Amino acid sequence: MAKLKLALYWAGACGGCDVAVLDVNEKILDVANLADIVFWPIALDFKYHHVEAMPDKSIDVCLFNGCVRSSEQEHIAKLLRNKSQVLVAFGSCACFGGIPALANFATRAEIMERAYIEAPSNENPNKTLPQIKFKVDEGELTLPELYDDVLTLAQVVPVEYFVPGCPPTVDLILKVVNALATNSLPPVGAVIASEKTLCDECDRKKENKKITKIYRTHEIIPDPEKCLLEQGLLCMGSATRGGCGSLCVKVNIPCRGCFGPPAGVADQGAKLVSAVASIYETKGTEDIEKMVNEVVDPAGTFYRFGMSSSMLKRKHLQRK
Amino acid sequence: MKKISIDPITRLEGHGKIEIFLNDEGDVVNTYFQIPELRGFEKFCEGRPVEEMPRIVPRICGV
Amino acid sequence: MKAARRIPLLKKMLSQFGIEDKRLMLDWVSASEGDRFASIVNEVTEQVRALGPLNWNQGGKHG
Repeated sequence: MAKLKLALYWAGACGGCDVAVLDVNEKILDVANLADIVFWPIALDFKYHHVEAMPDKSIDVCLFNGCVRSSEQEHIAKLLRNKSQVLVAFGSCACFGGIPALANFATRAEIMERAYIEAPSNENPNKTLPQIKFKVDEGELTLPELYDDVLTLAQVVPVEYFVPGCPPTVDLILKVVNALATNSLPPVGAVIASEKTLCDECDRKKENKKITKIYRTHEIIPDPEKCLLEQGLLCMGSATRGGCGSLCVKVNIPCRGCFGPPAGVADQGAKLVSAVASIYETKGTEDIEKMVNEVVDPAGTFYRFGMSSSMLKRKHLQRK
Repeated sequence: MKKISIDPITRLEGHGKIEIFLNDEGDVVNTYFQIPELRGFEKFCEGRPVEEMPRIVPRICGV
Repeated sequence: MKAARRIPLLKKMLSQFGIEDKRLMLDWVSASEGDRFASIVNEVTEQVRALGPLNWNQGGKHG
């Protein structure tokens, strides 16, 4: 079999997904045997013009991580879509928006203001902001346009597969590599993870107990054997796809939903509102008020990794 | 004036591009390093509970 | 009783999305209270009408 041509790219991302690919350790040699990497900014020297020069559909598989929130990222997403036979949304940012999608609670103007003018580490008396075009003595400099919304990859181009996780685990990456090696890719549109929820895969004991208080994570040290939600910690496991190996809950940390909603759940946050309201025991309106106060940041917690793919997608902007 | 673009800068963590301007003799007149990315952690961490920061800010850089 | 807890929590979450409190209402009406049902529905309809449509298209790529 001829070697596969593999591309990896990061859009609005932290580089953790790229490092996760290297975390397969010695198995990276299997990847090298299987595929020639034709584009991977973090590790190899190929430039955008090299990709532009490739024939359409000449890349077999492209693992695309990061959200899309600028004109450059959209351009590269479209470029790699045209050049690739199989485009994979790799990691929570590409799948659901990820942590960067929390920026959908603000506008571009608010972000610019905070990052370049207000932040205490700045020294910017002229209140200079990045410009899309800027004349210098030698010529013109350009920057991509920052979009108001953080988008998922699939909101910009058609995507064949989704590999969730922040970052995707080694097991999942090897699952993808094996599927490529044996030419046994699942049907287009598949999410390469578990079909169950994290709760279904969690080893902790569930006693169907009700709770009367929601604790913040620094307020208690939970029992390592029992369900975290039943101990009053907001754990997203019931509305989160499994397949991560229960990494967080195994170390006594409640799930924050980075694998996105499981099959059949349209909106992760709405499902979690329902789950919390179901398990919390109240006797009257005072108790309900107490519950609402104890969930300090519902939207930022329940859509921690999924703002872009949620039904509402972003904070509804102020009307003029 | 000739311009050489190095885009993207590779083999490092982060996004960047370099524009190098050359004069007619081919000597470097000026070089600009630009960051074509902003995610806005400075803004969107506001309003999030402080105990959640250890689970949000590691995504500034995952390398 | 679940609904009595769900709706206030959902309202708090919707407020973080900038959606006005008056767009969502939970009340309890018995089958025999036809008049009350009608007046509540009319009241909420007027509230939502006064708020006007949600401007969904104000987001998007270019704000």
